[in-house]
Amino acid sequence: MSESSLLALQNVEKDFQATDEGGRLSVLRGVNVSVKPGETVAIVGPSGSGKSTLLNLVGALDTPSSGSLVLDGEDLSKLDDLQLADIRNRKIGFIFQSHHLLPQCTVLENVLVPTIARGQANDDDKHRARKLLERVGLVDRLNHRPGQLSGGERQRVAVVRALINQPQLLLADEPTGALDRGSAENLTKLLLEFNEEEKVTLIVVTHSLDLAKQMGRVLELLDGKLEEQK
Amino acid sequence: MNLRTLILRSLTFHAKSHLGVILGAAVGAAVLIGALIVGDSVRGSLRDMALARLGKIDHAMVTNDRLFREQLATDMNSEQVTAVPVLMLPGIAINSESEIRADRVQIVGVDERFWNLAHEKPTHLNLEEDQLILNEALAERLGAKVGDSVVVRVPKVSSLSRDAPMAPQDDDSTGLRFAVVEIVGKKKLGRFSLQANQIPPYNAFIPLARMQERVNADKRANLLLSAGPLPVTAVKDHWRLTDIDVEVNELSNEAGIKSRNAIEIRSPRIFLDPPVVAAVTNTFTNSALIQTYFVNTLVNGESKAVYSMVTAAGPPFVPADLRDDEIIVTKWLAEEINGNPGARVKLNYSLVGHGRKLEEASREFTVKNLIQLKGMYVDKELMPDFPGMTDAESCRDWDTGFDLDNDLLKEGNVQEYWDRYKGTPKAYVTLNAGQQMWTNRFGDFTAIRIPRGGGESLIENVAAVASPQLKRLTADSVEKELLTKIDPASLGYVFQPIRAQALHASRSGQDFGGLFIGFSFFLITAALILVSMLFQFSVEQRAKEIGTLLAIGLKPKQVRNLLLGEGVGLSVIGSLIGLAGGIYYAQAMLHGLSTIWRKAVGTSELAYHAGPGALAGGLVGAVAVAAFSLWLALRKHAHQPARELLAESDSSIGVGDPVKAGSGRNLIIGVGSLGSALILTAWAFKADAAAAPGAFFGAGALLLIAALCFTGVFLSRLERAQSTSAPSLGTLGIRNVTRRRKRSMATAIMLACGCFLVLSIGVFRLDENLKATERDSGTGGFLFLGDASVAIRPDLNTEKGLDTMGLDADDLPDVSFVQMRLRAGEDASCLNLNRAQRPRILGVNPDALSSRRAFKFASVSDDSAKQDPWQLLRQPTDDGSIPAIGDNASLMWALGTGVGKVLEYPDPDERGRPIRFRLVGGLANSIMQGSLLIDEDVFAERFPSSSGYQSFLIDGPTGKADEISKTLTRGLRDNGLELTRTTKRLAQLNAVQNTYLGTFQILGSLGLLLGSAGLGVVVLRNVLERRGELAVMLALGFKAGSLKKMVITEHVALLMLGLFSGIGAAVVAVIPAVQSPASDLPYGKLILTLAGVLLSGVICTWLASLWALRGKIIDSLRNN
Repeated sequence: MSESSLLALQNVEKDFQATDEGGRLSVLRGVNVSVKPGETVAIVGPSGSGKSTLLNLVGALDTPSSGSLVLDGEDLSKLDDLQLADIRNRKIGFIFQSHHLLPQCTVLENVLVPTIARGQANDDDKHRARKLLERVGLVDRLNHRPGQLSGGERQRVAVVRALINQPQLLLADEPTGALDRGSAENLTKLLLEFNEEEKVTLIVVTHSLDLAKQMGRVLELLDGKLEEQK
Repeated sequence: MNLRTLILRSLTFHAKSHLGVILGAAVGAAVLIGALIVGDSVRGSLRDMALARLGKIDHAMVTNDRLFREQLATDMNSEQVTAVPVLMLPGIAINSESEIRADRVQIVGVDERFWNLAHEKPTHLNLEEDQLILNEALAERLGAKVGDSVVVRVPKVSSLSRDAPMAPQDDDSTGLRFAVVEIVGKKKLGRFSLQANQIPPYNAFIPLARMQERVNADKRANLLLSAGPLPVTAVKDHWRLTDIDVEVNELSNEAGIKSRNAIEIRSPRIFLDPPVVAAVTNTFTNSALIQTYFVNTLVNGESKAVYSMVTAAGPPFVPADLRDDEIIVTKWLAEEINGNPGARVKLNYSLVGHGRKLEEASREFTVKNLIQLKGMYVDKELMPDFPGMTDAESCRDWDTGFDLDNDLLKEGNVQEYWDRYKGTPKAYVTLNAGQQMWTNRFGDFTAIRIPRGGGESLIENVAAVASPQLKRLTADSVEKELLTKIDPASLGYVFQPIRAQALHASRSGQDFGGLFIGFSFFLITAALILVSMLFQFSVEQRAKEIGTLLAIGLKPKQVRNLLLGEGVGLSVIGSLIGLAGGIYYAQAMLHGLSTIWRKAVGTSELAYHAGPGALAGGLVGAVAVAAFSLWLALRKHAHQPARELLAESDSSIGVGDPVKAGSGRNLIIGVGSLGSALILTAWAFKADAAAAPGAFFGAGALLLIAALCFTGVFLSRLERAQSTSAPSLGTLGIRNVTRRRKRSMATAIMLACGCFLVLSIGVFRLDENLKATERDSGTGGFLFLGDASVAIRPDLNTEKGLDTMGLDADDLPDVSFVQMRLRAGEDASCLNLNRAQRPRILGVNPDALSSRRAFKFASVSDDSAKQDPWQLLRQPTDDGSIPAIGDNASLMWALGTGVGKVLEYPDPDERGRPIRFRLVGGLANSIMQGSLLIDEDVFAERFPSSSGYQSFLIDGPTGKADEISKTLTRGLRDNGLELTRTTKRLAQLNAVQNTYLGTFQILGSLGLLLGSAGLGVVVLRNVLERRGELAVMLALGFKAGSLKKMVITEHVALLMLGLFSGIGAAVVAVIPAVQSPASDLPYGKLILTLAGVLLSGVICTWLASLWALRGKIIDSLRNN
């Protein structure tokens, strides 16, 4: 791993139990990749190729069957569940295809939910949340519920939520998958802007070539291996 | 933003889906809080009853057979203290017109002062001598109303115990006729009683003066009641020696005899109480002790003198060097028996032995010298005041308590001596010899003489005539001195804080709160399972939310806390609603206790009371148990990885429970349980009656476990089965049961366990008819249990005894009695809701029970005595405690103690010694519940004033029960003998446990109904989860009706699985109940219950299916 890498995967493999008799299904077969701070990366590949599995590993939601996965100098494969939760909270921001906002909370509260992991939101958190929401044009929707927002607005809230703890790595799983073309373009633009402004590394899993093309690097997952696309 | 905000947001947002949880929690809380309110209500009602029976009374001094001056109470009165004398004796009341009788009536002799202690005074404060007041209970029992004539029979009292030697055999009781002038309720002290019991006593209030006159207790009382702050020294400040039957007399001394220039201490009780003797001799060290006894014969060879007094004393009556085997005799006696110095004289005398049996005893003496019948030897006051002799003109009129030989009386010169010298002793022995011969439980000495003329003893005493100026001591000065030296408490004259004790008894009795929580256990469990399932479903629906929180870095514990916080919030809301429900639930239970379950509490006077403790405690408890059940339901949730939770949308077609969960393990446990059940059943058939119910219940429980394990295995196999044939809609439905196997199993287990408990709990119903004639049964093999209001003194096991009581032995063939002395006290059985403070004490001859091998012992303190535990009553204890045997259940539940422990009795014995019982044995479910049995000899020693027998265990041929009952009841009617068939008595006692079991069954049935509602919830949830799948089936051409049928089939199968597992297991458990000769299993009720559960289950399933399949299911395809 290069000293300047934020994320480095070496020979990462992941397999699952497939049958009662103990048969196993190999999804990732020796993935090697290194991502520098501030990079934007798109991961593409056909359905079932293991993109989401890879994103789960990178997002500390799962651990590899073998190989090493180092984020900001810490080997995630050697951490326990609580340490992984802490990594997710401090260093990673998640954006899902379905926004997964809490329907019972307001926009502002949804953005502040990740701060609860540390106890409760302080004034700085609230100030940052307002600033970011203002940045995404939702300052007048602070007290609205997700149910009162459009799809694009919800996804923008999800982006702000992912950024609230100033993560080093922003992971997006098909972030534009559920949006119309206009909203998708806006979101892509927004992600790239945040990449610049917040100096956050962006990894996007997507089927969308339009989105992928706008990333600095495009990696394709084929037969359980990751290959750089020129 | 913090966790609390998030919890509040979630609570409000998911309010609709939480409605079921709230309702479930409300049901659980209502039952729990209701149970605690029932506990509070019973305690509150007992408190009300305690206060009602005592009115304003704070303290009571009960002297039982000792009588004090009525004036003592008068003297104690002050501005703060109201002291009232009462003469209270047990008796009988008879309605003169209808002849309806009531035994065990409290005959209370009162005057207008008594009513000052009542909260409300009756109209007739001053009863005329032929008027009486009845309380409501007695009036109802007698069917008497104002104006009716009622006869009251009451025992006569006597300072001299009727068991004492020389006690006369006159009538034991007297009858008085009154007109009822008023019937009083509880506000007017109608419930007056010193004993804590929720069952009102029978009270007849009669004029004090007339009662005193008729029972030989002129101006005397045996109960002193007081209201107000009584000083500790209340008795000591005002008492006189006459209050403890001590007389102080200045002897007349015209003859100038030294031994008569004295103050004499004596007692109408004949024998001076040891504490009195100790106080006199310690205060007046020069006093002389005297013991004079009635001797049947003094024999020297062929010569004998009959019926003479002999005195045991020290000098000057006997020479200082008189040995203990020597006697000095009057010349009169010497002439009668040729008893010159050196002659051997045998004294034959009677002693009171075991029971009340007179035992002949004798001792030989050598005549040391002869004395003249003059001077100090003509002192007829050396004879105590035997009530049947002192005033008799002729010796033929003597009533000595035993049969005198009239021929002997005629033969000798007894009458001549009586005419000339009355009870002047004919001979003297040493004090030591007298004590060796005549010491008895009533005391050692008949008189003490304190020299008035100075000197260190009666010998140095100066005769009054010779030196009148030395006449310093007076009766008054001696009394004054002794009053400061004798502790009234040492003779049982002590005030008890009766109100405080009554309130304590009402507080510390059976905890009905706990009892009803136990009864409602299944109902509460069913509600909690329902709550838990509903909340779990609700949380499952929010899997993505949980996944998101985990994904953004919240730790599993934080997420669980968030959900638990929500659960606690729901529990609080539900419990607050349940609080209101609990009040209604408690009222329903109280109504049940006062009506259908009355046998368990014996009163219909239970009123609603709810203290803040019960409400707050119940609320906190309800929230805690609901929150705990939710915590249990939540445990697994945050353990699931976030990625799985986030992916759950993809599993809407139903992942089901993992297959791995050990069907092999279930099979092993199932086979093991089945095998154990069979072995236990086989053993249970051979086990004894006591062990069999438990064994059958255990076998049933094992069978239930086996059935449920096999059900689990079946579902696992069904899930994995690969059928090649085309499935029908029915088989498809049944296969669906396996989709959420754990959920299905939880429902089946709940229904099965409920069924099993409700059906099989009946096995623990106690059966009084089981082996009722056998000695080791609860009846002890006895035919009757008898209680006499007025003690019966003769030995009923003898022809003479029966004859004395006017009974003919020929009318009572093969009838025998175990006669027991009674110290009245509180019923310490399960029939008394109060914690008994002073249990009834029975004095019994252990041999009488031991020889019959009566009753079975549940436990004994000494394993080596298991062969004959009754003899443990005679085993001396190191600490002076009294060995006692009680019913094992009574010891545990009514007295809160157990075998091997020591029970402190609040009152001292008649000598002022503390009473401590060492519990050496516990009888297994017997008719002796409510009493403590001790050795009769110990009883007599501790309570010498009590006389005769009041409690009886009666043996006789079962076929002649009615005749025996009639003969005894009629013959002993003046003693108020009340006979109860032992089986009936046992049935009354068993009714408590049986009623409790019935209550459990009813509340368990409610729990089962709730369980079937839980099934409805499962149906709803299962179907909602599968709406997409059902939509596909509709799209494939299935009809909506067919789908409903499939869903109903699936869940009715679950219902049947639970019910039949429970029923099957219960069938084994109830075998002993079915085998019982008097089996009264409520088959009808049980079948109705099960039918109700089945019906409500089917209805719930049907309604849930309708609800879940409402609307356009096909839309689910689009949503999916």
